[in-house]
Amino acid sequence: MALLSISEPGQGKPQAHAADNKVVKKRAIGIDLGTTNSLVAIASEGRAHALCDHDGLCLVPSVVHYAEDGKVTVGYEAWLKGAKDSRNTISSVKRLMGRGKEDIHYDLPYEIVSADNGGMPLIKTAAGNKSPVEVSAEILKTLVRRGEEELGGELEGAVITVPAYFDESQRQATKDAAQLAGIKVLRLLGEPTAAAIAYGLDRKQEETVMIYDLGGGTFDVSLMRLEQGVFKVLATGGDAALGGDDLDRTIIRWVLNEAGITDELSYAQLNSLASIARHAKHELTQSEQTQVTFEQWSGTLTREQFNTLIDVLVEQTIKACRRVLRDAKVTVDEISDVVMVGGSTRTPRVRERVSEFFGAEVHTEIDPDKVVAVGAALQADVLAGNKYGDDILLLDVIPLSLGIETMGGLMEKIIPRNTTIPVARAQQFTTYKDGQTAMSLHVLQGERELVSDCRSLAMFELKGIPPMVAGAAVIEVTFQVDADGLMEVQAKELSTGTVSSVVIKPSYGLEDKDIEKMIMDSYSSAASDKEARALQESRVEAERIIEALVSALVVDGQSLLSQAEYACLEEGILQLQKTIESGDSDAIHEASEALNEATLEFAGRRMNTQIKTALAGHSIEEID
Amino acid sequence: MSLQPANYFELFSLPVSFQLENTQLEVAYKKLQSEFHPDRVVNADDRTRVQALQQASMINDAYATLKSPLKRAAYLLKLAGIDAEEHNQLHLDEAFLIQQMEMRETLASLIGDEDLEGLDAMKDSIDKEKTARLASFEAQFTASHFVEAKSIYNQLQFIYKLLDEIDKAEEKLLDY
Repeated sequence: MALLSISEPGQGKPQAHAADNKVVKKRAIGIDLGTTNSLVAIASEGRAHALCDHDGLCLVPSVVHYAEDGKVTVGYEAWLKGAKDSRNTISSVKRLMGRGKEDIHYDLPYEIVSADNGGMPLIKTAAGNKSPVEVSAEILKTLVRRGEEELGGELEGAVITVPAYFDESQRQATKDAAQLAGIKVLRLLGEPTAAAIAYGLDRKQEETVMIYDLGGGTFDVSLMRLEQGVFKVLATGGDAALGGDDLDRTIIRWVLNEAGITDELSYAQLNSLASIARHAKHELTQSEQTQVTFEQWSGTLTREQFNTLIDVLVEQTIKACRRVLRDAKVTVDEISDVVMVGGSTRTPRVRERVSEFFGAEVHTEIDPDKVVAVGAALQADVLAGNKYGDDILLLDVIPLSLGIETMGGLMEKIIPRNTTIPVARAQQFTTYKDGQTAMSLHVLQGERELVSDCRSLAMFELKGIPPMVAGAAVIEVTFQVDADGLMEVQAKELSTGTVSSVVIKPSYGLEDKDIEKMIMDSYSSAASDKEARALQESRVEAERIIEALVSALVVDGQSLLSQAEYACLEEGILQLQKTIESGDSDAIHEASEALNEATLEFAGRRMNTQIKTALAGHSIEEID
Repeated sequence: MSLQPANYFELFSLPVSFQLENTQLEVAYKKLQSEFHPDRVVNADDRTRVQALQQASMINDAYATLKSPLKRAAYLLKLAGIDAEEHNQLHLDEAFLIQQMEMRETLASLIGDEDLEGLDAMKDSIDKEKTARLASFEAQFTASHFVEAKSIYNQLQFIYKLLDEIDKAEEKLLDY
């Protein structure tokens, strides 16, 4: 029987009673799927708040632990397990989404292996090789569950944020993870745009603002023009591989240098160093210096030294800001506000440099760790269909130019970067050989001239081109980028009107059949998880019954039972023990019930005896 | 509701002309996107969502085309039945071509000398040429002298490309 859940007074939200309200609110959540930490938030009537656990902790570390028996842990618990089992504890998986093994230029505390079809590497865990998409899905599942618990039911969907600088592969991988987690993506929202929404900067007069987002693993800078209800991204830039983790790494290198350590480190040591570095960085935000200890070595790191260590990285972020200003043809003086997003913007040197460069004050009023999720929740609420007057219009851009490979390994741009999305562009091609019925297009993203300097997105195989003389066919290929920044391709032969079939082979992504298989696998493992638990429970119960009966027999068996009755109960115990070994939880349960029934008489007699013993030696008068 | 304008100008309720009121375009664009953006139909059926995607893409294309003077010029020529991309060397002023080659050489030497100031000055002067040519295009097009207008458009293509190259060179020198 399901229990009716009652919230603590003052906490929890009132349940939407369909019978009472004419309008049942559609509930959706906002998710900030971060490199280091993730967060889920909900909004109602223009006000949003982050969802926290019973200990008041809101951030969910983006850490997933896989145990040998297949058990998956997410969050703080997983992070704790990482101290002893770093090999199976996956952190910063966002850096692997839509990326290849060759993109990773630093040490990871866990092992990665190349996938069969190239593409995204798999992570080796005790529970098998896992794709970054699967790992991210586990984090999403935890966040969705928190949302469902809070809202008391099923969700319409979620708005999930991605760095504005994320390319098509990275976005698609995020969407695939959501699909695997069973949540509908209402929109993939750029993190800077989400921050702008949270600050409600559109409420002022027309403003040009800069969103500076330095998270755990990525750096995003976006230039936005805001006016009443309209949020337009003018240009974006950043570095998809620069974040707080890199600031930490400068400390790690400093420690190894100071301590004179040159040997290769174990996964456990790398993990330990990462924690030590992060802690030191946090300390230096409040203090002028901090003591750093690693194994036998100990030393002092001052804020000044730390500033020197990170200056090169901070300069890289300023460079990205300059680039974005140029792209949008906006000068520094035109910027009215700068919004700081991401935990790493708490670093004093970062704030200093940004303030210096823009000559403006930087906004830090909203918790930089929560601002993105809050913005996502506000948008989710609107997209779920809840109207509150004028809705905001989000005009996002494609962060990198989209193009195809042409003769000689050159990249030809079809959709230039910073084009407002959604957008569609058509390009015409023709056949090379007589009777050619298929064609391959290599689609890329990037700004450089050579294919080798750009990001390979996918191979699009067009089939079903009607056979003609070489050069006679006119194949119009339409590249469509949707509001999430995801790409679709359609091809049509114009002279005959034949639509070609397009098979997509992503370079760093999962094919539809891969995802389907993962979903099927998760169903069967969820089912077997349930079965395993039921079996475990029935076994525990049965063993408890046996233990109780055996000790009762030792005490009273001889005195209260006839030989036949005693033998009967012994037989029952043996039977139950056999069933326990069978692994059939239903059978165990049945046998347990049967034995319980059989002992009722014995239990009754024991009770009587105990009462008599208790009463004996006391007069009636005493008991009254 | 489906959008089926005769042309991009009509889509934004603007007159078909090279002269364009920027604020009018902005207002019209935002109004349309507020209505047709895919975010408005996130929970609708597949067909509605696909249609919204196509409409919004078209609106974005229309906006980008009309906002850029160069693209607007090409589009106007297209509406007048002229293929702006057809390059016929005979229509290009020989003097112009020689000038362009000289510009390229100047640019190359400025880059070689890492002369940022020189590049800035060059950019200013080419910008002035651009403005003059745009005005000239407008005059010719309004007078329906399409052949002349096309020729000026082709010249503008060269000029825009040159400006782009100066930009890239400056970026490189400033180490962006």
